[in-house]
Amino acid sequence: MHFIQRAAVVFLLLLTPQTMAWQAAPAPGGPIVVTLPGKPDSVRFVAIGDMGTGEAEQYQVAARMEEFRLKLPFPFVLTLGDNIYGGKSPADLRKKFEIPYKPLLDAGVLFYASLGNHDDTNERFYKFFNMNGKQFYAFSKGNVRFFALDTDYLDPKQLAWFEQELAATTQPWKICYFHHPLYSSAAYHGSSTELRKVLEPLFVKYGVQVVFSGHEHVYERVKPQKGVYYFIEGAAGELRAGNLRQKGLTDAGFDKDRSFLAVEIAGDDLYFQAVSRTGVTVDSGSFRRPGAPDPR
Amino acid sequence: MWKPLSSLTALTLLFAGAVHSQSAPVDMQPYGDFSEKITAYVKLHQNMPSLRPKRQRKQIVDTRAALRAKIRQARSTARQGDIFTPLAAEEFRRVIHTVFTGAGAAAVRDTVKDPESVKGWRLTVNGDYPEDLPVTTVPPTLLLRLPTLPPEVTYRIIGRDFVLQDKEARLVIDFIPGALP
Repeated sequence: MHFIQRAAVVFLLLLTPQTMAWQAAPAPGGPIVVTLPGKPDSVRFVAIGDMGTGEAEQYQVAARMEEFRLKLPFPFVLTLGDNIYGGKSPADLRKKFEIPYKPLLDAGVLFYASLGNHDDTNERFYKFFNMNGKQFYAFSKGNVRFFALDTDYLDPKQLAWFEQELAATTQPWKICYFHHPLYSSAAYHGSSTELRKVLEPLFVKYGVQVVFSGHEHVYERVKPQKGVYYFIEGAAGELRAGNLRQKGLTDAGFDKDRSFLAVEIAGDDLYFQAVSRTGVTVDSGSFRRPGAPDPR
Repeated sequence: MWKPLSSLTALTLLFAGAVHSQSAPVDMQPYGDFSEKITAYVKLHQNMPSLRPKRQRKQIVDTRAALRAKIRQARSTARQGDIFTPLAAEEFRRVIHTVFTGAGAAAVRDTVKDPESVKGWRLTVNGDYPEDLPVTTVPPTLLLRLPTLPPEVTYRIIGRDFVLQDKEARLVIDFIPGALP
């Protein structure tokens, strides 16, 4: 083998995940213009799904998240499943999670994971995912109660737990997140009507206002269904370009590049901003909590 | 005098009836001794190393490997049909067939429409459930009609096979081949 070839092989073998971060070129595009209001005492977070590829595009979206955080801090991230694709060795978890999100982790940003069909259920023991060994769990931030569900396995025990938690919740905002979307305009999977049969009645009965899902590798904001706002953000690593279809469900969608979704809840108002890998705001807006008193 | 339930008694009670307002009580009689066999398996599992939240993925991987090795050793003679006995398997097949062909079957079938596989991997008792094999959602309306399992074990669908899996060890405990219509 020629010396240069041999040197190249040695160089590639030395490329541990720790040294791979530099490989991801910065995402093209200009700086992010933050549209969230940044009100005092608001609850701010980012939602990402289907991100754990370990590829350059995941790193570029992660860099955009950090850019966003430097402009408007957010203390936590919801993961919408498919956190780690393919192998799940310690090296894989470094490459597909710890390195791309290192600036966020170093800044103390917490990741609250939900599991997707490409995840290992034992990811619930991985401390960075803050699941405390549970496949489904709930936590509160300010005036919001978050419910992370495992839609790979919605058995009667999980449904009973979810119903008890909803019934006992005192926070005005109830937000659910999980992997499989109940409503979707994407061609690859489409809406999960089977999951909808068991979850939607609970959302309606107990007043869940917002649901975040992944699984479809696009961004979609679905028209409110039975008073519930649905977002899909499954393009923080993977992408199915051009996969959205006209089904009359979509309020806004983006299927041309990877993205992440930033959210701010201030009192009874929720503000959202979806940002592409190139820093472009592809959707933004706000809505008032259904059932909240009129501010006028 | 009130006495706390032992964990095994509590596990056994999981099979006794409905735990959610959308589910109807499951009649365990047609399943024969399925619940006793599951209880025995869980007892075995609980005497093994268990996973706890860890910052290092390696610690999770190592503990899981130890758990898997010990379970394999303890069940070295296990065969397909040991837990899904012919009697239990018949009832599972009947319920699965009902859910996959009855009212609402289209949505149920849609849930399992994208079966994925891992090249060269074969389903075997005591075999690994590969890490990179995506999980097929088990239709919730099917789960509402089946015996509820303790947290250590789970039902899985792989292609047309119905599988009982140890979640922490990622081990195949038993399976019913060709259970899905």
